[in-house]
Amino acid sequence: MGRLKVFIVSYDVSDPKRLYRVHKTMKGFGDPIHYSVFRCNLSDKDKIELIAILSEIIKHDEDRIMIIDLGFACGDVDNRIDLIGVHPEENNNQAIIF
Amino acid sequence: MDGEEVPDLIPARMLNEFTYCPRLCYIEWVQGEFEDNADTVDGRFQHRRVDQSRGVVPDSEEIKEFNARSVDISAPETGIICRLDLVGGNGKSVTPVEYKRGSVPDVEGGAYESDKVQLCAQGLALKENGYECSEGMIYFVKSKRKVSVPFDDYLINRTKELLDSLREMAASGKIPPPLIDSPKCIRCSISGICLPDEINSLRESEKADEGTLQVRKFLPARDDQVPLYVSGYGQLLRKKGERIEIWSKKEKLGDAKIRELSQVSLYGGVSATTPVFTELLQRNIPISYFSYGGWFYGFSQGNSHKNVELRIKQFSVAGDNEKSLKLAQKFVNGKILNCRTILRRNDQGVSTDVLSSLKKLANDAESSENFRTLLGIEGGAAQIYFSRFNSLLKSQDEWFLFNNRNRRPPKDPVNAVLSYLYGVMVKEFFVTLLATGFDPYLGFYHQPRYGRPALALDLMEEFRPIIADSVTFTLFNNGELSESDFICRGLGVTMTPEGKKTVLNGYERRINTEVKHPLFGYKVSYRRIFEVQARLIARVLDGEIDEYPPFLTR
Ligand code: SF4
Repeated sequence: MGRLKVFIVSYDVSDPKRLYRVHKTMKGFGDPIHYSVFRCNLSDKDKIELIAILSEIIKHDEDRIMIIDLGFACGDVDNRIDLIGVHPEENNNQAIIF
Repeated sequence: MDGEEVPDLIPARMLNEFTYCPRLCYIEWVQGEFEDNADTVDGRFQHRRVDQSRGVVPDSEEIKEFNARSVDISAPETGIICRLDLVGGNGKSVTPVEYKRGSVPDVEGGAYESDKVQLCAQGLALKENGYECSEGMIYFVKSKRKVSVPFDDYLINRTKELLDSLREMAASGKIPPPLIDSPKCIRCSISGICLPDEINSLRESEKADEGTLQVRKFLPARDDQVPLYVSGYGQLLRKKGERIEIWSKKEKLGDAKIRELSQVSLYGGVSATTPVFTELLQRNIPISYFSYGGWFYGFSQGNSHKNVELRIKQFSVAGDNEKSLKLAQKFVNGKILNCRTILRRNDQGVSTDVLSSLKKLANDAESSENFRTLLGIEGGAAQIYFSRFNSLLKSQDEWFLFNNRNRRPPKDPVNAVLSYLYGVMVKEFFVTLLATGFDPYLGFYHQPRYGRPALALDLMEEFRPIIADSVTFTLFNNGELSESDFICRGLGVTMTPEGKKTVLNGYERRINTEVKHPLFGYKVSYRRIFEVQARLIARVLDGEIDEYPPFLTR
């Protein structure tokens, strides 16, 4: 409970309307790192909610979603990711102050 | 709750919870508190298929085979109301089916008593409505297996017996004690509200007077959400899909995922669109409003907390001088002791005289006879403490010297930062108290006058020195704040927008720091400790524990 894990979520959705809805949902759970690939910091509860929402949107015989668990956010997740080229900044779960 | 007020019909789901743990049932049903965890969300997700009601249950006279999902049924005689996930039958004879997430448990009969009793209550309701019903089924989604539960005399009697005790508990208006060292608490979604081990060990120690109590840590689900602060002139918050975007004129400053937010604070001339407000209110994310200078104006909140019982107790204790004084003494005692700890740790030149006077005042607070003497004691302690405040500041630059505690407007940078942080803290406690079901305006120590959130101020006392004061001198000592962060006007000193951001950052850093709770021995963030302390006040009002234990740093 309470501890966040890092997940990579990628999706293939064949219909543009559903694609838009999946993308919109994903924006609420994580940050886009590539086209159709998100990095999300989720609790156990968040993950189940995400799966529940996505299951309602996609067509199970046409679309697909992959969720990869990279382990706890405070662990050595970043050592397991190599980035080449331009990449967006990560949100690290701190107060947002403007 | 008065006996007559107990609803006639008890939901079968509540009978399930009562069987699992009577306290769980009381907190959820009588007090109206609820918190989701991964298990409860998953439970709903697994139920989603059956929750769309389909099919009809034919009149018990008709003879044919049928299947119906998500059927509501009530039985006034038995005193039960329930929703049947699935009911299948052939003519008069029917079988209710209850869906459960997870796998068949490794217990006798393949089902927990709580689930069996819930099912049996459904069976009783069906019988009362004219059906024949001699058994039910539990379908375990994960193992895709059905377990049959025969409604034998033993189960029926047990179910009726539990129904009676549930009624009795609800009518008594007394919260049942927490389970002792039970593995059930680990899976319980409201353990962060119930605090089973904390309450049990406090009750024990009130008898025995021990030191640190070793208890299991029940983390709240909300711990990973973050606050959003926006300050400035003419900034606008807009909703875009699942996020809130922050705009300044034509320029987008950034965005925040709504589901990650715990609260939103708006300073000065920041506005937000109606979709932003409705979304935040629907999700129960409170919005606080401040002046530029950090004066806390008020807040918006979705439908208010359901725990009326707690508010009734709060009002009755607030009207009881003796009980209020007892709580107030603890708040002041905690504050003075924490001031003393701050000096002992950070003020090299502090004399033992100062430390022992503070110690004595803290003791005096506990035995003060009335509010007037208590106020006097607090004032005396504050004077001693603030007279040493300058030696907490490393830089002896004249600009940063602290003379006296002054406000409205603050006359030096240190006072400006202190005032700003006190404003932020009032909001923090205000929001925490709301979330725990209190009315923040009615306090036990501070008088409920001039629109002051008195209870927020009460609970804040013990934390002022270790949060606001400590953040203040740390920011100056680390050189994070410098002359350029302040504007000196004839009347007083204010902070620049950059300065305010630095202060907020320092504050957030501080309250997210994990510290060891001196009573319970586990490590948690200050933010979580605020909530635990608020819940401990609730337990004092409940009469579960006698004395409020203030949070004391070591
Ligand atoms: S935490 Fe334990 S004692 Fe408290 S309500 Fe849940 S099961 Fe009952």
